[in-house]
Amino acid sequence: MPGPIDYTKLRIIPDFDTREWWEATRQHKYLVRQCNRCGHKWFPPTFPACGKCASMDIGWFETAGKGVLYSYVVVVQPIIGAFVSAVPYVVAIIELDDCREEDGTVTRVAGVLTNDESEVAIGLPCEVLYEATNDPKIVVPRWRICGSAPNTWKFEE
Amino acid sequence: MGALTDKYCIVGVGETPHMRPSNRTTLSMACEAVSKALADAGLKPSDVDGMTSYQAGDSTTSAAVATSLGMRLNYSLDILGGGSSTEALVAHAIGLIEAGYAKTIVCFRSMNGRSGRRMGGQVPGGPIPIANAEGDNQFNMSWGWTTPAQRFGMSAMRYLRDTGCTTDAFGEIAIAHRLHASLNPKAIHRTPITMEDHHRSRWVVKPFRLLDCCQETDVAAAIVITSREQAYDLRQPPVFIMGGYARTMTDNPQWNYSRREIHYVAGNYGWKRAFGMAGISHSDVDFISCYDAFTFTTLIQLEANGFCGRGEAGEFVKGGRLQIDHELPSNLSGGHLSEGYTHGIQMVIENVRQLRHRADDACPRWAEGIHTYDRKAGCRQLRKARICCGMAWGYENMASCLILRGIAA
Ligand SMILES: [Zn+2]
Repeated sequence: MPGPIDYTKLRIIPDFDTREWWEATRQHKYLVRQCNRCGHKWFPPTFPACGKCASMDIGWFETAGKGVLYSYVVVVQPIIGAFVSAVPYVVAIIELDDCREEDGTVTRVAGVLTNDESEVAIGLPCEVLYEATNDPKIVVPRWRICGSAPNTWKFEE
Repeated sequence: MGALTDKYCIVGVGETPHMRPSNRTTLSMACEAVSKALADAGLKPSDVDGMTSYQAGDSTTSAAVATSLGMRLNYSLDILGGGSSTEALVAHAIGLIEAGYAKTIVCFRSMNGRSGRRMGGQVPGGPIPIANAEGDNQFNMSWGWTTPAQRFGMSAMRYLRDTGCTTDAFGEIAIAHRLHASLNPKAIHRTPITMEDHHRSRWVVKPFRLLDCCQETDVAAAIVITSREQAYDLRQPPVFIMGGYARTMTDNPQWNYSRREIHYVAGNYGWKRAFGMAGISHSDVDFISCYDAFTFTTLIQLEANGFCGRGEAGEFVKGGRLQIDHELPSNLSGGHLSEGYTHGIQMVIENVRQLRHRADDACPRWAEGIHTYDRKAGCRQLRKARICCGMAWGYENMASCLILRGIAA
């Protein structure tokens, strides 16, 4: 397991476009933005219009919080104080299973894995879990590997 | 061919030393760089009526430099931007001069990029003690994924997986640019390195080692742009602007990670425009510069700009192809990896010097364009330096390019 993240050194400040997203994580729900006109989904919710049809009539889609590991990095040198005890930690891009659209559009999100780098490979299935912080209003989603898959790929040093 | 191809020239270049730390203000450094670029061109401050700069909220302004140097400007603009800005401001200058807004324009970048605000976000003494995760950065900051190395590493990792390329391709680039720095008295790191050195280099964020990362420095640099008609009377052989593209973006430019292929970077959308404007093909290019914030950024731009096919860059750089006296010399001053990090402007400067045949190397008569071509004696001037393709990177989703030629081309 990577070491703990010290959330006392991180002030997460939701805003107009993201307040509901953070409210959902507090209730252990993983949202992505969704267009009310054409159904397109996207992340992060900081973008207030639909990238496919430019509508600003937008809502949310509650995902199952499951996906496939698309890429990752292993942070060895910490830059943010909150992560000094966490190194080496893996930040992963996860392609969400339930956000694929007919034209091939996908939604990928990012997060810190709870797994060690030795367990990580591109192509593995992942699921979200929720980590409380010292701020009762803020819950941060993390991800863990939840199975195996054929044809995975691992970074060889 | 573009309507303005070869009508505008870069006529002056200049920079401060690369310092760690400068113990100076960005205004002081900017004045030195602008003064040196004007002197190089043989221009007085009163000959220049336009000034532009780019910065990241970390630098001085055109107004402050103009006040200091006693210039009255007909045009000024300071933009927010890092890599890929220089080339865009050159394009901008062409339009301004063509339209009559100004006659001669100086463009600068001044940054205490090491001792002041660092692009990676580090503060003096170590990691950021308390970080605010807000605005565009609230998600990335929340999962400890903020620095350019950490962000670009994600595309690099997927690239390695998709192409079978290994980090030895990164090593090839580090070695080539360091070799060139060894021939540049101005460079921060001048000791040549080997693939073993690259393998032994410590990890910063996998897949990047320390030798894959650029050298943040305190530096200012400037270039002067004017019309061909003005350029002929100036001090240096003019360098002609053939073509380019400017801050071209991919789709989904602020969330690269949902794109179909996260390493299909912005240059792919630009290079046909640049080469078409210049009226040349890749085989006409004698040398390149390639924005090396990281070794990987050079690698990916080679294929993004059509120098090799998709997924082929790892093979392409093998065997020293990017080294001086090989097929496609890259970043002849040592680049960001070894000379020092200037947000791209020094690559344009080095390209101009090479195209003038006046690389400021160890040759005693370099200023007259006389070189020995003896690499062991510290000559870094290319024998054949007629056309250069400069490729610039902002991030995966934004890129510029500037194709230049010397007077002999
Ligand atoms: Zn829509």
